[in-house]
Amino acid sequence: MKFKDYYETFGVPRNATQDEIKHAYRKLARKYHPDVSKDPDAEARFKELGEAYAVLKDPEKRAAYDQMGSQWKAGQEFQPPPDWDAGFEFSGSDSGSGDGTDHSDFFEALFGRQARGTQRPGMHARGQDHHAKVLIDLEDAYFGVKRSISLRVPTLDAQGHVAMREHRIDVNIPKGIRAGQHLRLAGQGMPGLGEGSAGDLYLEIDFNPHRQFRVDGRDVYLDVPLAPWEAALGCSLDVPLPDGPVQLAVPAKSAAGRQLRLKSKGIPGNPPGDLYVVLGIALPPANTDSEKDAYRAMAKAFNFDARAHMKGNPS
Amino acid sequence: MSNADKHQSRDPIVEEEICLTLTELCHACSASEEFVIAWVFEGLLEPIGEAPEDWRFTGQSLYRARLAWSLTRDLEVNPPGVALALDLLDKISALEAQLHRVGVR
Repeated sequence: MKFKDYYETFGVPRNATQDEIKHAYRKLARKYHPDVSKDPDAEARFKELGEAYAVLKDPEKRAAYDQMGSQWKAGQEFQPPPDWDAGFEFSGSDSGSGDGTDHSDFFEALFGRQARGTQRPGMHARGQDHHAKVLIDLEDAYFGVKRSISLRVPTLDAQGHVAMREHRIDVNIPKGIRAGQHLRLAGQGMPGLGEGSAGDLYLEIDFNPHRQFRVDGRDVYLDVPLAPWEAALGCSLDVPLPDGPVQLAVPAKSAAGRQLRLKSKGIPGNPPGDLYVVLGIALPPANTDSEKDAYRAMAKAFNFDARAHMKGNPS
Repeated sequence: MSNADKHQSRDPIVEEEICLTLTELCHACSASEEFVIAWVFEGLLEPIGEAPEDWRFTGQSLYRARLAWSLTRDLEVNPPGVALALDLLDKISALEAQLHRVGVR
């Protein structure tokens, strides 16, 4: 087990006041809150902050932690000294700012033992709801998909210790699901206490990033580059859509950025979304002599000024 | 549609098919009734129905309520602050969706 330097987590000295710790926690918590931050490490950082704050905000826990001495460095191999917590009484009323079930081994070894209440006999309560995220491909939203997902669920053993148990469930993700929507799996959450019924499991659906398609709600966008002559003269293309290729007629005189709407070809549903083909223009490079000649011939044939809009308006 | 119906256990899509009472919403987002009532007062949640015991919340409000609760619990933001934060987060996602449509990732 590695030692954790909770002061380093907040960037405060060991003699920081409770107010300074609170201030540092608030500032970093706002920065890394997973619902607000776009930082890919936000969730992990936020968990660390919560754990460090659970110890340092509680004078009793902080004193016990401090008593281990300042010679420890973050990341160093660590075993709690025997009877290190003698003389302290952790109330266990609050084991963290979050749901308190997911602290590091280090935290569990020091403060975990008293933090869990054992189940009182004769108590009945409905189990907690569980929330998890599932990533699917855009194509799965067109056809529906069966997913087997595995969740780690904390359970109490006979002695009242917490053990993580693997929980596998098969889920039918229906056709037409969109990113950000949730499925409710009744009775698949945490088991109830006593005769209380189990909680529910909520699954948030999100799409894996796609190489070609962009998704906005029910609508799907696809960039399709054209050669200049295809855009100018019009053409017919095979376009690969999530549910198979379609023939697309590009009208003559299409400019870059033009959007062609394929009605009801977005994510299926009631109503279905649309698919937008966004046209782009790719310039062929002029490498050989004949290619250069072709560009020269174009320059001659066209009375075209690409910067006409910049002229005659000096302001 | 008929395809999906063939599965014995078709799990409902929360945003489209679910409607919650005040008690159910509190259980699903782990916040107390006191907070949920304050959020309704701030206009952060808009249930159908007059009195709290008649309120019905859409599946959409479940995720707003969960977000509201995590900001309340983790950052100690009060109900008007949570309402402001959610409005701003909504604006940010609308702007991000706009960028996304024009191809900025």
